[in-house]
Amino acid sequence: MSKPGKFSLGVFLLVTLFLHIPLVILFISSFNSSKSMRWEGFSLKWYHELFYNSQPLWHSFYNSIIIAISSAVTATIIGSLGAIGLCWYNFKMKKAIQTLTFFPIILPEIIIGVSILIFFNKIGLNLSLLTVFLAHVTFNIPFVLMTVMARLEEFDFSIVEAAYDLGASELDMLLRILLPIAMPGIIAGLLLAVTLSLEDFVITFFVAGPGSSTLPLHIFSMIRFGVSPALNALSVVIIVGTALLAWSTKNLYSSLLKR
Amino acid sequence: MKSSQVTIENVSKRFGDFVALNNTSLTISKGGFYSLLGPSGCGKTTLLRIIGGFEMPSEGAVYFDGVNVLPLPPNKRHVNTIFQSYALFPHLTVFENVAFPLRLKKVANAEIKRAVEENLALVKMETESKKYPRQLSGGQKQRIAIARALINQPQVLLLDEPLSALDAKLRQHMLLELDAIHDKVGITFIYVTHDQAEALSVSDQVCVLNKGQIQQIGTPAEIYESPANEFVARFIGETNYIRGKVVAVTDAENAVFESPEYGKFNIWLDKKVQLGSSVALTVRPEKIRIAPGKPSNLPPDVNVLRGTVEDMIYTGFQTKYFVRVNGAKEPLIVFRQHVQYFMDEKPINWKDEVSVWWDTKDSFMVEVN
Amino acid sequence: MRKNYGPIYVAPIAFWLIAFLSVPLLITLSYSFMEKGLYGGVELKFSLAAYKSLLNTAVLKVLLNTIVIAVASTAIMVALALPTAYYIARSPVKNLLLMLIIIPFWTNFLIRIYAWIAILGSNGLLNSFLISTGLLDEHIQFLYNRYAIILVIIYTTIPFAIFPLYSTIEKFDFSLIEAAMDLGASKFRALWLVMIPNIRSGITTAILFTFIPTFGNFAVPQLVGGTDSWMLGNLIVRELNITRNWPLASSISVVLTSVTMIGVLFFMRSQSKKEL
Ligand SMILES: Nc1ncnc2c1ncn2[C@@H]1O[C@H](COP(=O)(O)OP(=O)(O)O)[C@@H](O)[C@H]1O
Ligand SMILES: [Mg+2]
Repeated sequence: MSKPGKFSLGVFLLVTLFLHIPLVILFISSFNSSKSMRWEGFSLKWYHELFYNSQPLWHSFYNSIIIAISSAVTATIIGSLGAIGLCWYNFKMKKAIQTLTFFPIILPEIIIGVSILIFFNKIGLNLSLLTVFLAHVTFNIPFVLMTVMARLEEFDFSIVEAAYDLGASELDMLLRILLPIAMPGIIAGLLLAVTLSLEDFVITFFVAGPGSSTLPLHIFSMIRFGVSPALNALSVVIIVGTALLAWSTKNLYSSLLKR
Repeated sequence: MKSSQVTIENVSKRFGDFVALNNTSLTISKGGFYSLLGPSGCGKTTLLRIIGGFEMPSEGAVYFDGVNVLPLPPNKRHVNTIFQSYALFPHLTVFENVAFPLRLKKVANAEIKRAVEENLALVKMETESKKYPRQLSGGQKQRIAIARALINQPQVLLLDEPLSALDAKLRQHMLLELDAIHDKVGITFIYVTHDQAEALSVSDQVCVLNKGQIQQIGTPAEIYESPANEFVARFIGETNYIRGKVVAVTDAENAVFESPEYGKFNIWLDKKVQLGSSVALTVRPEKIRIAPGKPSNLPPDVNVLRGTVEDMIYTGFQTKYFVRVNGAKEPLIVFRQHVQYFMDEKPINWKDEVSVWWDTKDSFMVEVN
Repeated sequence: MRKNYGPIYVAPIAFWLIAFLSVPLLITLSYSFMEKGLYGGVELKFSLAAYKSLLNTAVLKVLLNTIVIAVASTAIMVALALPTAYYIARSPVKNLLLMLIIIPFWTNFLIRIYAWIAILGSNGLLNSFLISTGLLDEHIQFLYNRYAIILVIIYTTIPFAIFPLYSTIEKFDFSLIEAAMDLGASKFRALWLVMIPNIRSGITTAILFTFIPTFGNFAVPQLVGGTDSWMLGNLIVRELNITRNWPLASSISVVLTSVTMIGVLFFMRSQSKKEL
């Protein structure tokens, strides 16, 4: 087999360095005692500031967690049921509903943000954690749906028919067959939804009201205030946290698949 | 176990404008091994799904022992299905797969254990009860599917191409085993297949379907030896197919047939025909004899044709010859069994002039279609 | 026969997406055809004023800038992603290399933008470095222009080009390349003439997945762009929150959505052609 050449190796290295260097710089700067980017000695003071002197940040983080969990759970329930219906049943309007579920994925986020803000305004709903929750569920649903459908499509509809054939009621079938086999997909969908919700900035930007700012919104305003080394420390914490989470969920997920 | 008679009465099924089954009626006797045979897409699965309760016919009725079962859902019909893909539940062990129907009925654990073990023994899978479906081979999955379908003690078992996912050797073996299970449990088996060899080898009755229409119902021998029409003749095994006219009736059982390609010869009247009507004959290749040149001592009551060997395929136990009779559009297919290859058979080679002949009783008239 | 439970399973998702997606989109569409209200909102009167003001030179300038940025970033991303994905797909340690690409995306999107502010800002690393080496006498601003936007968009979006390309290249049968070389093609020509046509669907996916988020981007130009490098997203936010001309904000959204939809339809057509 012919080996990839020097050119593609060169571009690969360039891209990889390009992706990593800025984060390495943040990592180093987070231990810099100076407020500027010039190195003036090792210090943990920005971590101290992050953990002990950033109440608003932690409040927004708390909001983020609340929203992420509640919206992910809601989206997972709605999306998983939808996946079961769309994957294994036929009915009128199926195509239309399927098309509708693609929209949140292909539309630019700003469009979803703007239109849902206009909608909340129209129905007179004040911006709050509730509006953030509703918006997050909306953009999370299709991702859960896709993940669960991908899992269900590995199986043949005949196992549903076999369950009926052997005497299962619809509820038996849901609880004893569909949910267990879909479970790895459901958990993956849930984790994906949590991640997307924690990460979302654009849509939240439109629908968050006073006091309901999430971590990304808080970071946004910190950036607008100017460079703060506490942000460097925060990014290190986020990377490490995500790595730990990814590692443990990967283990959880593969153990689920092995069952 | 108890078995029932299944009667299909004028059942039709349409999907939109497409007619998948057209006015089919048939009766499947208690405890029989009944095959639905036909090419892919002919409506076999559709008919089976109607019997099983997964599909509603557009018209007609389905009776089990005289009771109309159409209003009943699948699980109230005393019928179970073996699915083409086996449909084992991937998250349950072999034991739990087989126990599934009993768990739904909240049967006591001890009784479940006894019944599951009994059914696993029936399919010789007692030792695999702790495995998951993905740890089983195709043949083993098949057995589990059978054990699971039988645990509710159905009166009718529906099998939709159950062997199609297995390789040829295993298929043979599983077929015999299915036959043995059928003998043991004694319930009605309705077996769907597109493989004529499968259908002929184990069934009591075969129903041949094409394009949603019943072509012929009969025992395997009837279907093979005396096909009702061209479709059946061509679909079941290989055959030679000769079009022509009945030009004279000799007596109640014999007539003279004339084909534009092969000239006149005698036939046996296996059914009534009008003098002068267009008919077609089928002669199975193994019924035709072949010899080089002009053999002298031919038996009486045979039709003899002369031709040239156009092609031959040697397959060990027999050779398949393609013999072109002068002026014929298609060559005749002739099988010659090699009983004593090296001793007294005169070799026949490519381009040889040969004679072929068959007994007048070995050709059958079929409807022209 | 059994009852068909499909509609019951699908009812919640259908209800939710109609209530919180279809209806809002339709309201937004209808707002674009109304007169602006005094303090945001609209007057319920039909008007094409919003679309007329789209033809205003200031808006057209923003549209042009958006197109330039989106086309340039997409082109650069695909050009970089193609060799990168090719290298990863041909490597014996694919998964490790993929991880290398993914890990930077484990951190928050805004922090990835912020990293570039820390580097390029007038007090940033690059300035400190250039001044300490004497190449520069005073602080200069590398941020708040079109190039900074393109750079940061590439930084935050390039994996969406790499992944689809990777997955199609990975499935490509490389013995075809050897066959082409055997028939006398140079390696470059073999790749160009044999591999590229076969991974076209990956290329279209990569283009679509980078173009759409870039075209509708708002956070990047908001943070590293200047007033003369605005994109449509910034305009929407201004009309929505500051100028409070909701019909105009809606009509820009309609334009943005239409461009996206044209892109998606084009994409779907090219995909279905491929299946022929
Ligand atoms: N649910 C359905 N909708 C539309 N057409 C169907 C459906 N089920 C089967 N058909 C059509 O009916 C015909 C018979 O199908 P089937 O009974 O599955 O054939 P087979 O004999 O191969 O089992 C096929 O042409 C198939 O395409
Ligand atoms: Mg079938």
